[in-house]
Amino acid sequence: MPDTHVSDPGTRWTVTDPARLATSIRLRAVKMVAPQGFGYLGQALSSAEQVAALFTVLRPGEDRLVCSPGHYVIGIFAAAAELGILDEDSVSGYGQNGSPVEAIGTERSPVADYICGSLGQGLSAATGFALSDRLRNRDRRTFAMVSDGELEEGQVWEAAMFAAHHRLNRLTVLLDANNSQVDGPVDTITTIEPIAAKWEAFGWDAVDLDGHDVGAVIKALAETARGNRPAVLICRTSTTHGLQCLPPDADGHFIKLPPDLAARAEAELTARLEDRDA
Amino acid sequence: MPDLNEPPYPTVLKPYGQSLVELARHCPDIVCLTGDLTRQCEIDLFQDAFPERFIHAGMAEANMMGIAGALARDGHIPFVHTFGVFATRRPLDQIINAIAFPRLKVRIMGFMPGVSSPGGPSHQAIDDVALMRALPGMTVVDVADAVEVRQVAPAIVDVDGPVYVRLKRGEIPVIFGDDHRLRLDRADVLARGEDVALFASGMMLAPALAAARLLEAHGVSVSLVNVPVIKPLDAATVADVARSAKVVVTAENHTIVGGLGSAIAETLAEAGLGRPLRRIGLRDTFAEGSLTAPYLFDKYGLSTQAIIDTAWTALGRRDRAPSAEIAPAEPGEYSPV
Repeated sequence: MPDTHVSDPGTRWTVTDPARLATSIRLRAVKMVAPQGFGYLGQALSSAEQVAALFTVLRPGEDRLVCSPGHYVIGIFAAAAELGILDEDSVSGYGQNGSPVEAIGTERSPVADYICGSLGQGLSAATGFALSDRLRNRDRRTFAMVSDGELEEGQVWEAAMFAAHHRLNRLTVLLDANNSQVDGPVDTITTIEPIAAKWEAFGWDAVDLDGHDVGAVIKALAETARGNRPAVLICRTSTTHGLQCLPPDADGHFIKLPPDLAARAEAELTARLEDRDA
Repeated sequence: MPDLNEPPYPTVLKPYGQSLVELARHCPDIVCLTGDLTRQCEIDLFQDAFPERFIHAGMAEANMMGIAGALARDGHIPFVHTFGVFATRRPLDQIINAIAFPRLKVRIMGFMPGVSSPGGPSHQAIDDVALMRALPGMTVVDVADAVEVRQVAPAIVDVDGPVYVRLKRGEIPVIFGDDHRLRLDRADVLARGEDVALFASGMMLAPALAAARLLEAHGVSVSLVNVPVIKPLDAATVADVARSAKVVVTAENHTIVGGLGSAIAETLAEAGLGRPLRRIGLRDTFAEGSLTAPYLFDKYGLSTQAIIDTAWTALGRRDRAPSAEIAPAEPGEYSPV
């Protein structure tokens, strides 16, 4: 199981309640980060609905998933554990010494078909997959998770130009626009707006939407399957969304989670799941 | 000295481009990528023969390496083409993460090695061997003549991991006979001697061969070894040849830091072989100010004479070293400097 990938033949899962899955991702991410007391929880919080939507739309054993920012694998692992794609032992070792499941995803990480640790490289890989499928006449979709900070890397735009030139319409990007990077809010470091206009100018279909509205993300993913150009969903999100107990000054790139805060986070999210199930 | 052609050498055009087309006829998994240097990398021939397997990446080397990695992951065998300098410097992180770490079967073909280009430091791959040699699992090849160039694509196509190949552009000299076989697992001992062990790779084989002949004519016994594969290095042959010589000289069209000379030095040291070592190559400098490549080979000490002088003094000879006189090349021919 630790070497399963979503597009591998025979991989199976079913999502019945995407909104519940998003909350489960948050809860499990808290539990994964808690042993270290810090980690990439903010990435899971901002991308939980995107990950839940992806696992709802992805055709198991068929479509591909690329995770460009390796820090985001926490959300993918959490979803995979919830859906039975990964076993409990694999995720419980997340980020620990000797674990095959590293905190920043690597070449050997499970679930996603390709994970890049060095930022800005994932769209090229996703573009290569989409090109390969076209060369081999296969009708697969490739989904790439990309973060807004990565738009500062030139390679993203090299890949964007290439994909549009070749009209790789089976390629869809989920751009997590959480306005967070290591040195602070993205818009205080570099102006990347207008994001949608940039992608459109490069020849992509672009949709700007609330990235925490899981229904909207699922709907957009379904609609982009029918376009004749590659598509990007600009998902407006927050690195603290869905976890009210976090302090207002939490560093979204690398959240500190001491034991008392971890306990409160776990209680808050568990209660929310129980309310939903009630 | 071996029974090989003597300069000026006859030359052939596009031996690599022709061989890749031949190989691709039998190997449908091969795809051909170009970074806006199609004719320069001889793959206009591939584009004509297999347009459906030909991919223009444009001037975007980082993206090109990422795409090549994904294609290889999906079972294609990408041959990626650009100048060596652009193939290794700009997309180094992409080669590391998207190709080398996953040990994918991507073949990176870097044209115009070392100072073979008068295009200035921006176009001269003087550190490509060092950069690629440092990457875990990367095979590094620097072939010497047209006979080897023709064989390099079939030789590397099945290597289970990434490969970097340096290829000279333009007219390629024919040094070896048709019976010569390029082997990836063996350094090629062309002559055995007791005074100097001379190791050369790529374009430096021609001047090394000329230097070895002249040294022999002046009573110096020379072992001459062609080293087309710098990594993994045939350390057993290197140590064996060096052990029976008094001094060791290496010759590479590259900085002396991190390339053939360094690889030989590491081998000698690990084998406990204390032999004086002299490295011919760029000595911690960029190569500037030229109209022609031969000028640069001469200016930066990569000439036949430089090899002779180096071996001579390494042997402790205080008299004047013999003078190299290489027959000049007419158009369509090639002579080393």
